[in-house]
Amino acid sequence: MQKVDTFRISLLPFCILIFSIFALMIVTYLAVSVPIFQKEGPQIYTTNIWKAAENNPDEEFYGVLAAIYGSVYTSVLAVLIALPLSIGFAVFVIDYAPQKIKEPLIVTTDIMAGLPTIIYGIWGAFVLVPMLRDYVMYPLHKHLGFIPLFSFEPAGGYSFLAAGVLLGVMVTPFASSIIREAYRMVPFTYREAAFSLGATRYEATKILLSYIKPAIIAGILLAFGRAIGETVAVSLVVGNAFNIHPSLFAPGYTISSLIANQFGNAFIYGYMVSALFAAGFFLFIIGLAVNIGSLIILKRWYSHAQRF
Amino acid sequence: MIAIETVNLCAYYGQKKVINNVNLKIPKNVVFAIMGPSGCGKSTLLRSFNRLLELNPNARVEGDVKLYGKSVYDMSPIEVRRKIGMVFQHPNPFPHMSIFDNVALGLKLNGLVKSKKELHKTVKWALRKAALWDEVKDRIHEPASALSGGQQQRLCIARTLAVKPEVLLMDEPTASLDPVAMEKIEDLINKLREEYTIVIVTHSSAQAARVSDYVAFLYLGELVEVGKTEKVFEKPKSELTKRYLMGRVG
Repeated sequence: MQKVDTFRISLLPFCILIFSIFALMIVTYLAVSVPIFQKEGPQIYTTNIWKAAENNPDEEFYGVLAAIYGSVYTSVLAVLIALPLSIGFAVFVIDYAPQKIKEPLIVTTDIMAGLPTIIYGIWGAFVLVPMLRDYVMYPLHKHLGFIPLFSFEPAGGYSFLAAGVLLGVMVTPFASSIIREAYRMVPFTYREAAFSLGATRYEATKILLSYIKPAIIAGILLAFGRAIGETVAVSLVVGNAFNIHPSLFAPGYTISSLIANQFGNAFIYGYMVSALFAAGFFLFIIGLAVNIGSLIILKRWYSHAQRF
Repeated sequence: MIAIETVNLCAYYGQKKVINNVNLKIPKNVVFAIMGPSGCGKSTLLRSFNRLLELNPNARVEGDVKLYGKSVYDMSPIEVRRKIGMVFQHPNPFPHMSIFDNVALGLKLNGLVKSKKELHKTVKWALRKAALWDEVKDRIHEPASALSGGQQQRLCIARTLAVKPEVLLMDEPTASLDPVAMEKIEDLINKLREEYTIVIVTHSSAQAARVSDYVAFLYLGELVEVGKTEKVFEKPKSELTKRYLMGRVG
């Protein structure tokens, strides 16, 4: 008879525990969301209404479209800001940074990526927002206010732009580390090939970046996933207003900041908890899709690049 | 006429000397083989000709390399590399680009064509020259990674020829290919010898004997012997060359 490996068996419960917690969480999300789906149907996601009635649950109506809009808006802004920054930084670290400062630079960005986000949030609220308001928003609004993007008068400065910029700063180290690792993995022979054809350093870099394009897309997708899930820092600078406005300077909500701001008193109402869970469920689906998508892209690319 | 001449050429990786005082004269329009056991510095020597060695931050070169009498160190590296094309040991067409784009790349980089029509014409010409056109003419917009190893290597040759170089460097171009693909590349070298100066690095003395007009034997970074291929193979002057050719060293 084979001897039973008791150590291995003793590890099993831990594994089961972790996955059952995750599975139960998904079940909870679905179960708690059910009442609002039954009451409103898809309108929970397609309308911008936030009507809480303390005494009559039938009068309550919740639609989180503004929060979805704000989440996507700020995350897209973040990615647009992070993309050039992270690519530029990755290329600099791998190709140009002197050996002595290469490691310190990498370690610093890793620390930046791992910092508690409230640290970014406070800096965002007290430094970034006033700065953006006085030096970016007001001048743009004053001179180019006829363009819808700049049309909203930036009263406090708390806005989609502030959230987007702050998120951009926060996810850049993260996106950059993915792009950097891919760029580092480019086989040397391709570098030689590009230069042997008479490419300048700029041209060679462009060719090599086009080679790691899938990894860049994956890095940006993962950064998008991070940005859309970020809560504390965003809720400090986004303004927290139910607002669907094209202007960068308008205040808004994001899904996560909505949940963070409303859950404290949600239990008073009949359907608000359910509505918040439904909003969270939406975020969960986006996060899942973005992460799975980018991991597939990355895996495919790595297996290809490693053939050399 | 001398195409490439090295003058007291030394190359270092950090403190380590890998090329020691090499003086070579490579005549125009010949196939010049540099043979020697692996690790003897052949590839390093080749990369000093087109200044590709400079991609390695630890590499350093002393002495001079002249292209038609003019020091390559007085030219811009971009000009040098356009005039001295290179084919590598592993076929390295850019796998994410199409066959066409791989060949067109050097033309676009160096602004060598003025119109789309001319670009197409030159790409076709280069693919013909590299004996690949007939095999790929119906699928030049497919990714280069879809080709076999031997076809990829000929694509690399086409990519290099498209830029119209004067000298062609080949760093063990058949080392990673099967015998049939190898024969095709060697046939191609035979055809190209009339128009180009070809410098081929090989660890196989048999290949050097098959394809080259002149041969140089490099051992541990030193030039042991150089001369017309048949002379070196029939009557090597150096004892070391003799032993290498008999398979006793290397």
